[in-house]
Amino acid sequence: MKSKAKKDVLNEEQKLKWIGKSVKRIDGPEKVTGEQKYKTDYSYSNMVWGKVLRAKYPFAKIKSIDTVKAEAHPDVICVLTYKDIPGFNGFGIVTPDQPVLCEDVVRCTADAVALVAAETVEAADEALDLIEVDYEVLEPVTDVENAMLQGAPKLHKDGNIHSHVTIKNGDIDAGFDEADYIFEHTFYSPRQMHAFIETEGGWGRMEEDGSLVIECPGQYGHRDKLQIARALALNPERIHVYSSPNGGGFGGKDEITVQIYLALLAMNTGGRPVKIHLSREESVIAGIKRHPFKVTVKTGAKKDGTLVANKVRAVADTGAYASLGGAVIALAIEHASGPYTIPNVDMEGFCVYTNNGIAGAFRGFGVNQVCVGIETHIDMLAEKTGLDPIEIRKKNAYKQGDISSLGHVVKSSVGTIETLDKAAACDLWKNRDYYKNQVSEPWKKRGVAVATSFHGVGMGIGTPDYGAATIELLQDGKFKVGVAIEEIGTGNGTVYAQVAAECLKCDINRIVVVQGDTKQTLDSGTISASRSTYTGGRAIATAAPNMINLLTEEAANLLGVSVSEIELAYDRLVDAHDHTRFVTYEEIYESLHDKHRSKRVEGHFYLPKEKEELKNSGGAPHHLYGYMTHVVLVEVDTLTGQTDVIKVVAIPDVGKVLNPQGLEGQTEGGAVMGIGYTLYEDVLIEDGYHKTKNFTDYIIPTIRETPEIETIPVESNEESGPFGAKGIAEVVMIPIIPAIMSAIYDATGARVYHLPATPERVYQAIQESKPQSLISR
Amino acid sequence: MKVSEATLVSPSTLDECLLLLNDQKHSVQLLAGGTDAVVRMKEGVWNPDTWINIKNLDALRYIEEVNHEIHIGALTSHTDLVESKLINERADVLAQAAKEIGAIQLQNMGTIGGNIATASPAGDTIPALFVLDAKIELRSLTDTRLIPIREIFTGPGRTVKKSDEIITKIIIRSQDEDEIGIFEKLGPRKAQSISIVNVAISLKMGEKPRECLEGKIAFGSVAPTIIRATKCEYMLKLNPLFDDVIHDIASAAWKEVMPISDVRASAKYRRNMASSLLERGLYRLMKRWEEQ
Repeated sequence: MKSKAKKDVLNEEQKLKWIGKSVKRIDGPEKVTGEQKYKTDYSYSNMVWGKVLRAKYPFAKIKSIDTVKAEAHPDVICVLTYKDIPGFNGFGIVTPDQPVLCEDVVRCTADAVALVAAETVEAADEALDLIEVDYEVLEPVTDVENAMLQGAPKLHKDGNIHSHVTIKNGDIDAGFDEADYIFEHTFYSPRQMHAFIETEGGWGRMEEDGSLVIECPGQYGHRDKLQIARALALNPERIHVYSSPNGGGFGGKDEITVQIYLALLAMNTGGRPVKIHLSREESVIAGIKRHPFKVTVKTGAKKDGTLVANKVRAVADTGAYASLGGAVIALAIEHASGPYTIPNVDMEGFCVYTNNGIAGAFRGFGVNQVCVGIETHIDMLAEKTGLDPIEIRKKNAYKQGDISSLGHVVKSSVGTIETLDKAAACDLWKNRDYYKNQVSEPWKKRGVAVATSFHGVGMGIGTPDYGAATIELLQDGKFKVGVAIEEIGTGNGTVYAQVAAECLKCDINRIVVVQGDTKQTLDSGTISASRSTYTGGRAIATAAPNMINLLTEEAANLLGVSVSEIELAYDRLVDAHDHTRFVTYEEIYESLHDKHRSKRVEGHFYLPKEKEELKNSGGAPHHLYGYMTHVVLVEVDTLTGQTDVIKVVAIPDVGKVLNPQGLEGQTEGGAVMGIGYTLYEDVLIEDGYHKTKNFTDYIIPTIRETPEIETIPVESNEESGPFGAKGIAEVVMIPIIPAIMSAIYDATGARVYHLPATPERVYQAIQESKPQSLISR
Repeated sequence: MKVSEATLVSPSTLDECLLLLNDQKHSVQLLAGGTDAVVRMKEGVWNPDTWINIKNLDALRYIEEVNHEIHIGALTSHTDLVESKLINERADVLAQAAKEIGAIQLQNMGTIGGNIATASPAGDTIPALFVLDAKIELRSLTDTRLIPIREIFTGPGRTVKKSDEIITKIIIRSQDEDEIGIFEKLGPRKAQSISIVNVAISLKMGEKPRECLEGKIAFGSVAPTIIRATKCEYMLKLNPLFDDVIHDIASAAWKEVMPISDVRASAKYRRNMASSLLERGLYRLMKRWEEQ
């Protein structure tokens, strides 16, 4: 009630016109009708096709590469190998350890060995077959624990442990000594695929002025530009990257995908544009995936429900290259003890190289894998003690100003307890016994469970996190709002338009948003880390007063009054003393134009950071976190082990909700992706080769697996955010994972520790937990 | 043969099609709904000189009752089966099976003849055709033969159909008022999935409560081809199908099957699921029978 009253006052004070409203997506009609074109949908009349020769083996030495026959193919334009790379032969966001084109060794079947440009796709494929690569096959390293052992074949010269992070607080042994209950389990998580609708692909072309244009969906065009420049030894100013819109990203287009291949080919096709578009099969092999984790968690608690100790050891399989693996394991460890105040923690994480493809960024960024440990143990504690699982969580949750399990004071807004209160009060939780009894057939069992979690917003300490926006007044009286952060399906462009229209006090139709364009926009960081609403929104809110100043000054000139006498009215600027006297934006444009004055302003914003990094943590803590509680109802067919999620209540704390419809888009999409992670999805790799080839065997939820999803937002006003907002995009898929796992247990008495909880695994767990008659009589 | 160099011909009559199939000089491949053929083409498995597009041979797209049998043209789509009153009333198990195939889009494009020709051990309509005693008509330019469904498959992806033959017709028995059928499928998810195990059941019921006079059971995805569960079929007639009897019959099902492990499931799980699906199917059938 208190926060609601506070919110009303805020709305009343600010008279918000666009913020907090379900403003329709600015790109909605084109997306729904299919009219919107992705980069990979386009064709050019003089185009050529690019193809990538991938490694034949997961681990092998390259003895020689012979391209003579491929080059002799009549329809081939060029064949490129590592020798044709003008600059640095490598890429990688943090550690550029992945070769653009392999020279002496291949470390996974995703590795690129050669590039071809040809007149047709078919000719390009034929040319790939004509390239002769002589390999010396090596025994692949496929198990993370074995990879860490002394004497394991080394994938990289510094060994197979890419990073090791630790967070320690309190006295772990003393913590376990005072515990009445100790739970210890090991959890295994799947190699989830982003499964975006648009596979990796795009265009490269040289312009007549010698500049290079890359049109390729991505999640940070300005950084892609720098990685391309490094490989090409080219002045980055000569490279323009157009990286929006994306047919889905989810982190899978954060790293370089095909941009450098496109650039290399474009420099060798005589000015003809070159297109690469991965087939789904190639995307499965070459694209990055979520890190599979092995996580061992030991949790100590007292009889009254107080958590006193948590020990975590997480090992992440990053595949052959680092990409963002180091950051993923760091974020995992930062979040592995939950949003709680556990006084004694000892957590460590390893990011380990293997020959199993490549892992990298993916929505949730390591937290998905670790949240299951602490949340499952809390439910076990509830069962042991008879305490309410929500009460235990509330008892241990930190509030704003409290000290977290990491030992730092949490200064930003914290909504955990409010989300838990709403969970306790929601229909599904209150009437869970009723819902559980509604089974349709005697072998079906239902369960209800709750889980809570959190997720950092923005980059951790040590990674500069910065946003910038431009606002330009156009001739027709519209404002062009430029934010480099791409549209990857989230609808951030609509939020940018809302923030701009609200700040400028104009109609939203006057806002034209430009995203993912390195030529027109300033570097504003990634579309990742749940940061784009917060950072982009703040950057616009910082630029807007500059635009208002520009408008006001010119209006004062035109109306012949002082600046202080100009009022910003809706869609116009008026004389404060005489509202019939006003100027329009069009008039202001014309006046500025005549004077050859700039119509463009900028806004820059640095994300707030914690001052002191926890030693060896790899960037913890974050300043801001989003919090979330999920309640789920599942039904398990005990005859087959099939699990059906029937109902989900999503209770996010994301600060102020800027667009309720957009928020629901996130909570619903996140819930479905979380269901996929928990029940269906895994890219199977055996001996370094993909057993999962395409969507035939990579099972993502369809509409028939999509439950009823209710969203109940908690609005903890975040003072530093644009209109009080925080981030949302990742936390929405996190607590649902342990919630489903516990609901399966609630239904059947069987626990699954190895995700995804496929029918076979659930069935096996049921068989192991207790012999059941197939039909209860 | 490159895909781009292949020829596509679209015969307008069956005779024209048979003539094309008789071509000894070129390799030919039939293309009906394309839901399997196009996939094989993309995988590079099928690269014929000539694709014979029969999608528009409407003469092979019909469902009709003839002397207590149902004749189904080979190019009848799965959606046609799902929507057919005759199939729903007289061959309910086939209607249900057709509805479980892939997704709506696949049901619209895919044909019953194609499902047989593909000869997947996981093909969803095939177990239903087994329990409905289907006979498959194969025609070539010079010959017409009628093969019982039990004899048509020689292994995964293989049939007795010769390269110059085309499946023209499927003849199934029409179930009487006292007959009832069901199709049960276990896939990795509800829609758009390949069966881990499936089972079709067709029972002839007697006068007494849950009395079964005769029954047919066919399993998919648990052997190199679809198989009948003859031991279980005998057991159906021994006692009225009350829940404990159902449980006992289902428990015997694992002895009928010899599955393999693959990326979708282990052999052990498939065996157990043969029992589970049979139990679930018989339970649901009896419930429906009693409600009728």
